[in-house]
Amino acid sequence: MAPPSLWLVLLLVMPVVTMVLFTFRAGSFGQAAQQFTLNNYAAFLQNQPFQSLLARSAGVAAIVALLSVVLAYPVAYYLSFSAGSRRFTLLTLIIIPAWTSYLLRVLAWKIILGSGGVLNTVLASLGLAADLGSLFLYNRTAVIITLVYTWIPFVALPIYAALERIEPSLFEAARDLGARPWNAFLRVTLPLSLPGVIAGFLFVFIPTVGEYVTPALVGGPRGIMYGNLVQDQFLNALNWPMGSVMSLAMLLGVLLPILLFSRFVRLTELAGL
Amino acid sequence: MADEPTSAPEASGPLLVLEWSGYEATEYPQFFQPFADAYEGRMDEVIEYSFFAEDAEAYTKLQSGFEADVLHPCNSWWSLYVDSGLVQPIDTARLSNWDGVHPDLAAMGQFSGEQYFVPWEWGYDSIIVRNDLVTEMPTAWADLWNDAYAGHVSIWDNAETAFVMTALAQGLDPWNTTAEEQEQIKQALIELKANVLTYWADYTESYELPTTGDVWLLANAWQDAYAYIESEGYDVSYLQPEEGRLGWVCGYAISSTSNNLDLAYELLDAAIAPESMAALGNEYWYGFSNMDALPMVDEYVVDFMNLDEVDTLTDRTVFYRPLSEEQRSMMSSIWDEVKAAP
Repeated sequence: MAPPSLWLVLLLVMPVVTMVLFTFRAGSFGQAAQQFTLNNYAAFLQNQPFQSLLARSAGVAAIVALLSVVLAYPVAYYLSFSAGSRRFTLLTLIIIPAWTSYLLRVLAWKIILGSGGVLNTVLASLGLAADLGSLFLYNRTAVIITLVYTWIPFVALPIYAALERIEPSLFEAARDLGARPWNAFLRVTLPLSLPGVIAGFLFVFIPTVGEYVTPALVGGPRGIMYGNLVQDQFLNALNWPMGSVMSLAMLLGVLLPILLFSRFVRLTELAGL
Repeated sequence: MADEPTSAPEASGPLLVLEWSGYEATEYPQFFQPFADAYEGRMDEVIEYSFFAEDAEAYTKLQSGFEADVLHPCNSWWSLYVDSGLVQPIDTARLSNWDGVHPDLAAMGQFSGEQYFVPWEWGYDSIIVRNDLVTEMPTAWADLWNDAYAGHVSIWDNAETAFVMTALAQGLDPWNTTAEEQEQIKQALIELKANVLTYWADYTESYELPTTGDVWLLANAWQDAYAYIESEGYDVSYLQPEEGRLGWVCGYAISSTSNNLDLAYELLDAAIAPESMAALGNEYWYGFSNMDALPMVDEYVVDFMNLDEVDTLTDRTVFYRPLSEEQRSMMSSIWDEVKAAP
């Protein structure tokens, strides 16, 4: 077996296999761990609250991914077409926040969105609202805002790369054929950058479904996401088999739509857009 | 044994203690004064620490094969430790300070007639109230559900605590519930979500949240959080709810796999020595198990913790009780469904 495959098997396949094996155990430790059972699957399939939370978390992840892409696209566009010689500097500036601790960035949002925070103070001084308290914090909106902020640098990169790959002569051709700039964008640039956009979307969507740190810090009682419960199963409930089933459900729930999605993307490329 | 320090470490290696952060004898020798005195200058040779942040973490570590000599779990886990065979009975005759340990606390560490745990620190679990921000003073755990506090309540993200507190508020026995009562508790916790601003996860949050002004009632705070916030100048009170404050006690045990018994007993004896216990009370505002330490404790701590009334402690406080695996599992499931509810 070639070294890369060995690497893949050890670091990617084995952990997933271990997790799947855990789904069949009757308990986390000792005697119970040695017994085979399908009860964990039954328990999950009967647990409607968990399933709907998974769906809601996927929904939140989709919104976060969509907003990240929409907000990152202008950034990538500017870097690719207008930044010129400053593009490398600007790119570095965008990436630098990602070098700080993830936790620090989330906590920074807690300060911004909090009751005595920047956002409330600005709105109050503009006369828009007197006492908003913790309106923007400890809810699903805070989770979405914080996650979008964290992801924008990471989404800008694949979109930037896709835009860079577009043949400049295509823009000339569009202009020569009489296309206005906006039309050229819609008919040439956007479709050709779509693989980068989709890559960026998935890049955010997949990890965000299982996100738990941000919901725990800024989500409040309603911003809880699926990852928080998986964490609970492993750390507090000491129910590794159930945690494993939940993780597997999430894996399959995310993997299957993506497999379908990737079929679609290949088709559009074949269609010669 | 303190007369022959050279033989003990060489024979069995350093003592490995699975401990909460904040009690390590290498950093806080005052909590184990006789031990620190005996091994001064050689502490790193005779004792080592491995830390955990939650009881569940320590239990998982031990069940996964981690071997330590001395353990420090809290009492709702004690029966589980005994049932899982993780601890060995303690020969109290080897502890010179054992007679000072209050009998009610000592009794909590007994299972099947054997003393498995040496109770060490205890404290309360109650509600911190911002007197200056609430329009009406709460008087009971049940008041957490009062609409007057909507959006200004914070409770601990902990399955056991949430369940017990809610059971008390509903007038039920937390440790003997029927399936209907469990469903009732679950519904009550889901209703509470409307009042909860955020669940606090880390005890440092319990120190910080009441000071922000957003949280008027912080539930499941330990008394050290109250003492800290009050010392910062905030107008707060530490509720004495109608149903009673909750109480917790934690203690030391010797692992069933340990052979390092001489050192272990030395450490435990030093832990319950009066001067060690007084230091614990004075520095952390915690209760302690050896009442001989009382004369050495600051008046403020004695008054606040009612340390001179330990005889009535178990009457006026609802102490957490040891949970079986099924009970713990049931409480966790309920809590997860509460959290999953939209």
